Amino acid sequence: MLKIQNLHASVEQKHILKGLNLDIKPGEVHAIMGPNGAGKSTLGYILSGREGYEVSEGSVDFQGEDLLEMEIEDRARKGLFLAFQYPVEIPGVSNMEFMKESVNAMREQRGEEPLSAAEFLKKAKEACKQVQLPLDFLKRGVNEGFSGGEKKRNELMQMILLEPTLCILDESDSGLDIDALQVVANGVNSQRDGKRSFIVITHYQRLLDYIEPDHVHILANGKVVKSGDASLAKEVEKEGYAFLGQDNAEEAGA
Amino acid sequence: MSQWLQQVIDRGQAIDDWLSPVREQALESLRQTNWPNRRVEAWKYTSLVPLEQLTLSSDSTKTSTDIADIEGLNSLDLIFVDGELQSDITAMTLPEGLHISSLRDAADEQKTTAKALFSQIKPQRHLFGLVNDVLAEDGVIIDIDADSHIERPVRITNLSTQGQESHHRVLVRLGNRSSVTVIEQGQGEQASLSTGFAEYDIGEHAQLEHYRMAMHTHKAIHIGGCHFSLQEQARLNSTLVGYGSQLSRVDVDIIHNGEHAKAKFNAIYLLGESEHFDLHSTIEHAVPNGTTEENARGIVGDKAKAVFNGRIHIHRDAQKTLAELNNRNLLLSRRGQINTKPELEIYADDVQCAHGATVAEIEEEALYYLRSRGISRSQALVMLNFGFIQELVNQMPNQALAHWLQPKLQARFAEMEVK
Ligand SMILES: Nc1ncnc2c1ncn2[C@@H]1O[C@H](COP(=O)(O)OP(=O)(O)OP(=O)(O)O)[C@@H](O)[C@H]1O
Ligand SMILES: [Mg+2]
Repeated sequence: MLKIQNLHASVEQKHILKGLNLDIKPGEVHAIMGPNGAGKSTLGYILSGREGYEVSEGSVDFQGEDLLEMEIEDRARKGLFLAFQYPVEIPGVSNMEFMKESVNAMREQRGEEPLSAAEFLKKAKEACKQVQLPLDFLKRGVNEGFSGGEKKRNELMQMILLEPTLCILDESDSGLDIDALQVVANGVNSQRDGKRSFIVITHYQRLLDYIEPDHVHILANGKVVKSGDASLAKEVEKEGYAFLGQDNAEEAGA
Repeated sequence: MSQWLQQVIDRGQAIDDWLSPVREQALESLRQTNWPNRRVEAWKYTSLVPLEQLTLSSDSTKTSTDIADIEGLNSLDLIFVDGELQSDITAMTLPEGLHISSLRDAADEQKTTAKALFSQIKPQRHLFGLVNDVLAEDGVIIDIDADSHIERPVRITNLSTQGQESHHRVLVRLGNRSSVTVIEQGQGEQASLSTGFAEYDIGEHAQLEHYRMAMHTHKAIHIGGCHFSLQEQARLNSTLVGYGSQLSRVDVDIIHNGEHAKAKFNAIYLLGESEHFDLHSTIEHAVPNGTTEENARGIVGDKAKAVFNGRIHIHRDAQKTLAELNNRNLLLSRRGQINTKPELEIYADDVQCAHGATVAEIEEEALYYLRSRGISRSQALVMLNFGFIQELVNQMPNQALAHWLQPKLQARFAEMEVK
């Protein structure tokens, strides 16, 4: 599904990813943990195609294609989805219009007819229910004035509607109450079908209690420094990142 | 004296018709006029070089005189090709209270109306207005009787074809308490020059719904104007749409001559490639208790250039005037240019006046977010940036016209970006 090899990237002359490797097979759930500033969100941005990042070395293969060569929208159309750590507020564009356009962009990609407003509304209502957002959130501006938790649910709703093949969730669990955590976990679990893959970026073991990862990676100072199974997350939860050693901890904290 | 202006004067002197006495005045003004260069304020950002260098060579294959039908508009169509009226007015059944005649074949009664309007509302300072005074041999005179409400919109179209120069005039008088909708549309893309000036006298309690669509593109040079005089309690609701061409310029004057008149003027311009559009508007509050609301909004892409000059002039006696002018622009490219200049001259002390101009750029963050959900860049730009234009389209009172215009503007916008 996704194969990242020796990825080096920088933004504004700052070297952030320093030789990152990751191999994700269809149907797998990978959790990525790591200290603040390690480069986790940066990885998500680069995969989604955000401008301003310079990849100086390495490669990313997504379903047999060179991901780094694709336009942002093409990556999404080919099934890559990033749930943002900080979703963008867009006053003036309704959530409904936004999601309808994106769903129809995906349908166009698959050679399907666009959904009518009524057809879409039906789908959107279901998705709203699934993430427990009141229906009037469809009418509001995209993320406009949404609380932190509501933004995360809104991201999840988009994931459900767009049916991606690779979902990257960047701290979809932070700032959530216990109920919402359950909502996120259910959202992911309901989409787990043996083919769809997930990268779950999180700081907390808590979410991983609900979403059982196949692999856990620790990302520090721009690369994966340790990989393991679900037990690695529990270890981190207990011990923190002390095992990274002084060098990494300092650099990561700097 | 420029060569171009000299030949206008020479040709104008040769015209001998019932308007000649009025033209004589304009001729005299032109003889005194210096050809404007960029140091002249009114032409600071718009160069007349394309006009001076224009060589017109006519194409024998005449473009078709078909104009697009606007679904549901049900308009009375007056079609000009290169300034010559093609429609047979005598064959039209006009609603009661509406009188239309061509400038060329005006009956005596209409000549009287025309003389009361011709160059009486349009200020003398517009150089090309004077050129039009001198050279406009054809046009229409529209006269609406007092208390008549004309349901069908009157649509006046002028098509400019390859190699032609044209000058036409529109004169409209709304009797007291009457109402009408007038649509002026100009288009053309091949090398041509057209001037088109319109003067409206809106009587007491009368209501004018007005549209000016300056849809000239590419090599079609257009310079024109709309000039409104509002009598007591008159209402004006006007929408202007500007495309851009090699040189396209419109001057608008809204003159409050009677108290308690209300004017609303919305302008939209969308420019791409190396198009140029220049809008100069002047609001004159000469008497107290008038209201004007003006919104000009534009999007400029590629190497295009927009010029907006919005002047509000509140005379000493014009107390209790309420005047608002707002200009919003979106600049899509670093090579594009927007020159916006609000001008306020207030000589009365008890007025409410607001005035603002902004130029925004693309919001990259929002654009990225939409694209990351599979929405194409051009579609995302429409979603993010078309809203403020859409708002003005939605405000157009005529739904049929708005429905016709909306996809055209959207397509034009999408195209601007793709390039
Ligand atoms: N535009 C930028 N200019 C300069 N530095 C940047 C820029 N974007 C990111 N960085 C830096 O890159 C490093 C990695 O940031 P990133 O957001 O990827 O961290 P993270 O692992 O997601 O952290 P967190 O757990 O706090 O979300 C940080 O030190 C950050 O300050
Ligand atoms: Mg982060």
